Amino acid sequence: MRREGGHAMLELAISAAVMVSFLAGTFQFGYTFYVYNELVTAIGNGGRYAAMRTYRGGSAEDIEKSKKAIRNMVAYGDAEPAEGAQPAVAHLSPDQVEVAWTMNEAGAPEYVAVSIREFTVDAVFKKFTFSGRPGVEFPFVGKYAPAEHEK
Amino acid sequence: MKSSRRRGFVLIAMSIAMLLMLAAIGLAFDLGRVYIARNEAQVFTDAAAMAAAAKLDGTAGGIEKARQAVARVPMRWNLGTKEFTGVVVEFSADGANWDQNPRDAGATMARVTAPLNEVEIVFLRAVGGPATFTVPAHAVAVSNPVRLTE
Repeated sequence: MRREGGHAMLELAISAAVMVSFLAGTFQFGYTFYVYNELVTAIGNGGRYAAMRTYRGGSAEDIEKSKKAIRNMVAYGDAEPAEGAQPAVAHLSPDQVEVAWTMNEAGAPEYVAVSIREFTVDAVFKKFTFSGRPGVEFPFVGKYAPAEHEK
Repeated sequence: MKSSRRRGFVLIAMSIAMLLMLAAIGLAFDLGRVYIARNEAQVFTDAAAMAAAAKLDGTAGGIEKARQAVARVPMRWNLGTKEFTGVVVEFSADGANWDQNPRDAGATMARVTAPLNEVEIVFLRAVGGPATFTVPAHAVAVSNPVRLTE
């Protein structure tokens, strides 16, 4: 009887360890994939917005404002988010979004690339860091206004 | 006799528990990857269709440039690790008749399809799921001004 009880305890300990590690692994991969999927969606939305947004290249400050609007679109789903807006992906900030235009020979933007610079997913049991991905490159199809200024 | 019966029961219970566990892991791991691949493919086809439509200018040269523009779109799938293959680019002037090599160069619409994104299924396969799951995506863009319509 005592032996059976001991066996049961041992079996429970072994199976619990296996179950917990399986469940932990399931959670960490499931959650990480979920966050990555959200990042792909956010980057896709930002890329489409960046492709169609007017490029105002009046000064370096204007270009920085354009980048800020695109970063906000990725992070908040809104180029001009309200005070205290919640990010589209938990813990994602506009600073973690990279925006870069590729210019053609005439100096006009031809492509715009939007990507995640670095983002760490905290899946409780383990952390995963994504650098440079997800990323997209869209053709620039917006209005090119080199002399205009951002508001 | 009683002991061997109990052992048999534990074996069955463990087998069922393992199957359920594999199914749960499969839902999280395999379906998670499937959804990501679908999303990546959709964003890729959106960008590729816009890139193609941006090159359409009513000439045969424009059609060729559109194909080249799609080929140079650098995006990847499977968590950004695999290149898109078998990408189909079609053109249309009316949105009803699509052709990869249109005789009439006056196409104003481009449709890009990424049909071969096969996600390898790891865990769900053990509980009767398929070995691979294909997640195709397509997008349509019109030119002048370039915008996505589908």
